[in-house]
Amino acid sequence: MSVAEGVDRQRRLILGFVGIVLAAILALLVLDLPGSDVVTVGALERAIQAATPIALAAIGGLYAEKSGVFNIGLEGFMIFGALTGAAAAWIISGSGSVSQADLWFGLLAAAVVCGILTIIYAILLVRFEADQIVAGLAVWFIGLGFGPFAATVVWGGVSSPSLPNIDNLTIPVLADVPVLGRLFFDASPLVLATIVLAVVSWVVLFRTRYGFWVQAAGENPEALDTAGVDVNRVRYATVVFSGVMAGIGGAVLSIGLGSGFTGTGVTMVDGRGWIGIVAYLFGNYNPLGAYGASLLFGAMDMLQIQFQTIGIALPASITGLFPYVAVLIVLAAVGYTRVPAAVGEPYDKEE
Amino acid sequence: MSRTGLGTVRAIADRIADRMLSASVLERLALAVASTILALLIGAIIVAASGYDAVEFVSALVFGAVGNLSNIAFTLRQSTMLILTGVAVAVAFRAGVFNIGVQGQFVVGGLAGTLAVLVLVPLLPAGVATGVAIMALAALAAIIAGGAYAALPGMMKAYAGANEVITTIMLNFIAAGVVYFLIDAYLKPPGAAAPNTAAFPDYVDLPGVAFGSPSFSVIGLGIALLTVLVVYVLMARTSFGYDLVTSGHQEPAAKYSGVDPKRMIVRTMTISGMVAGLAGAMFAIMILGYYSDPNSFPTFGFDAIAVSLLGANNPLAVVPAGILFGGLDAGGQYIGFTLDVPSELVDGVIGLIVLFVAVPELFRMAGRYTGLGGEHQ
Repeated sequence: MSVAEGVDRQRRLILGFVGIVLAAILALLVLDLPGSDVVTVGALERAIQAATPIALAAIGGLYAEKSGVFNIGLEGFMIFGALTGAAAAWIISGSGSVSQADLWFGLLAAAVVCGILTIIYAILLVRFEADQIVAGLAVWFIGLGFGPFAATVVWGGVSSPSLPNIDNLTIPVLADVPVLGRLFFDASPLVLATIVLAVVSWVVLFRTRYGFWVQAAGENPEALDTAGVDVNRVRYATVVFSGVMAGIGGAVLSIGLGSGFTGTGVTMVDGRGWIGIVAYLFGNYNPLGAYGASLLFGAMDMLQIQFQTIGIALPASITGLFPYVAVLIVLAAVGYTRVPAAVGEPYDKEE
Repeated sequence: MSRTGLGTVRAIADRIADRMLSASVLERLALAVASTILALLIGAIIVAASGYDAVEFVSALVFGAVGNLSNIAFTLRQSTMLILTGVAVAVAFRAGVFNIGVQGQFVVGGLAGTLAVLVLVPLLPAGVATGVAIMALAALAAIIAGGAYAALPGMMKAYAGANEVITTIMLNFIAAGVVYFLIDAYLKPPGAAAPNTAAFPDYVDLPGVAFGSPSFSVIGLGIALLTVLVVYVLMARTSFGYDLVTSGHQEPAAKYSGVDPKRMIVRTMTISGMVAGLAGAMFAIMILGYYSDPNSFPTFGFDAIAVSLLGANNPLAVVPAGILFGGLDAGGQYIGFTLDVPSELVDGVIGLIVLFVAVPELFRMAGRYTGLGGEHQ
């Protein structure tokens, strides 16, 4: 118990620290104090945008792990989502000018394709009791291989040409609210939708019967089985949900906020799926916490632009590493997350 | 083979199948073969579905791997790297530690080896003996650096509970970024545009001996095989190796026999990283002859995961698995050069192999369904 309490205190300390930083940032902005040129509304806007794909993957992965399946394949599904989104929009547009409707179709296609791929993956994990870590890594490798391969089939190169992205949505009246208006109500609809999703996910997980099933599948599958709920069916649902979310996250990256698919190196997803896993661990399996952690990593990702604006010249190869370093610090600080009891264990009804 | 002979084989296979819950050597072999064949089959189907010629793809793959002497040399060169990195992965996986950071440890080790060469060359007279001494010291530097870079996530896992899969992946990104920065900012010759260090002198290179390839040396392959042997003896024939494997799979048992599981995690990671570091020195000295932007390197450290898993994380089995993957890699690159089939396809096929190896139950069920316990052999 004392360990758990210690961890709890540690977590509160960290959350407190994050809160203080956020409050300080807001104070800087509102009072226009010196130093506010590091933290600008533009910076927050970029951070929230960068957080969006990470948060989508994190919320999905959180549900899967809560139900007892560690979906370590998030990164791979994000690659498939990024590719499918861009490719579907490109193909439906007739390889010409991509319209807004085409982009939304691409987003939908990414969700559907990743959903189908995750069904196969979920069957391997749940029905055939695959090693969750190895199979998840395999999804990443498959994405790293077939993503750029498929891009070459579609575009003749591992990256797509420059594509448009989904237009901002301006909500009248609310958009005129200072700071918040620009951040949320004159922004990409995907940004706002992700925040809404985080709230809804929290409500479903902690306030509905279905959410209790998800938690029970991960904590005490025998009890859930005794109560007459099919444990594996719950797990199928959460894993497929996590794949769909990661797929949408990838598509948000390529055509939601970005400008097409990049397949060089480790592709444009570039570790965001892995960061998504850390985001929900840091958020202590709470969708709102996961969103907050995604925001932190998103801000780290965008820090290089802020450094440039205030004239600190660090090479991009170094500033680009901030999110990864942040992940290491976070994991070292909150490593002792209380993982759901039955994570990684296949559930056999007969036994 | 006679009918009764077949019957006997079948009876044996069935008997093995009965005991299959604990994986036997034969089952592991069957799993590896079946996974590879199934993955290649799916790869060929995808090639055909994408509008390429699948038969041409497969024949080019084989020709690229073993078609002529220089292709074989290229295969063995890739195999050398995959065997070394594969053993690095196997050490960790065997002990239940998922070191996904072999790529990063390899990159850091290679840099350390390169620095040793670049520092020592101006200090010592040129010559064969100097070359051997410099290479030995470079290998030592690489082993130390690789071990240290792996000890870090080991300590984070042991003492802070940080998931090593994620920390090692992050450290891969960080290694690539920092090494690129160091080369680009400090190590490239003045005025050069490309992020490459100065070239090593001729005497700092492993002699080809046979094959006549400038980037493959039989000695390099020999060093890789020697490393396999050392790691195998360490793991299978010493009490340290015993503790290492038990602490990974039966932590309570290991604790009773007085093993500190936390220290074992750090040691496991360190040894794994040391082998990965040696692979980095091999890459810098045998293959490149200079050092460069790690983002442009082949992903030996990732393919090594497939190699190790295919060999059931057994150091000896890493050798045939490494040679197979060396051939796949060489064949894949040949396809990239000659046909217009993108070479990334082979990366995807390797991913599929890893996926299938993770699901032995799939093949067991297929075996039961076809009535034969063993495998479709």
